[in-house]
Amino acid sequence: MTRDEALKSIQERFPNDMIEFFDKSPKRVFIEIKPEAIVPVARHIFRDLGARFNIASGVDTRTHIEILYHFTMEDINLLITVRVKLNQDNPEIDSLAPSFHGANWIEREIHELLGVNFKGHPDLRRLLLPEQWPQGVYPLRRDYEEWDKAAVRNRGV
Amino acid sequence: MGMKLKALLKSPWVFHLSTGSCNNCDIEVLDCLTPRFDIERFGMLLAGSIKHADVLLITGSCNRQSTERLKRLYDQVPKPCVVIAIGECSLSRGVFIHSYNCPVPLDHIVPVDVYIPGCPPKPEAIIAGVVKLIQKIEKGNGKR
Repeated sequence: MTRDEALKSIQERFPNDMIEFFDKSPKRVFIEIKPEAIVPVARHIFRDLGARFNIASGVDTRTHIEILYHFTMEDINLLITVRVKLNQDNPEIDSLAPSFHGANWIEREIHELLGVNFKGHPDLRRLLLPEQWPQGVYPLRRDYEEWDKAAVRNRGV
Repeated sequence: MGMKLKALLKSPWVFHLSTGSCNNCDIEVLDCLTPRFDIERFGMLLAGSIKHADVLLITGSCNRQSTERLKRLYDQVPKPCVVIAIGECSLSRGVFIHSYNCPVPLDHIVPVDVYIPGCPPKPEAIIAGVVKLIQKIEKGNGKR
């Protein structure tokens, strides 16, 4: 499969779900889609195009919480990034973990650090934060403030 | 100087613990063990278990999860023991000082005897720090 065939198949299959298609460079493509369509789009890229799920990254921007799902196709040297923009007040999206296991832990991490609710995730426990961490405090949000009164923030000199 | 401490300094066995470092300090610690620097000429040996160790060598910035493990390990070291902090992260947490996950520096958690600064410190600096510690304790100026 060539680069053009792969991109054309995504565009033709999901014309209504696509918000923006940005062809940044020969190696990199950004596709913004509606959050409701993430499962069929990701399954198409993963199953039908044979791409590898690389990682997902979550960002808290001024207006939205963004999640970027990165898929790589090594044989044609292409990195496809699928971007979704979520509502800041109640960020939630369908989970990709039932579709492929590689999404399981990164969704748990985004859940605890950014507070995104992944609907249908099989096991949405904490991954990195300790047990004592308070519920509902998300450290990578823009409005995060220090809650730990015992923390020492000087170098002691 | 107590008899126990004297015996300890003759051949200190070292337990190497990383509390969430970037592994660069750990690489320098391993460098010390290679024939080029050969820290074994001071009788130092890397111990596989904390229960065999006399010296606790700590790198990294002590995040919330590893702090619990660090306290548990410190309770298991046969006392008297010596604690050495290696690298900027374990001294003052370096660039992670404002991180949500690194609330307190190492010397607020366990008592530290030697601070070896650097990011990462050179093997020469680590050896110099350890030798200074041995001299300090032999003169009787140590904490214990």
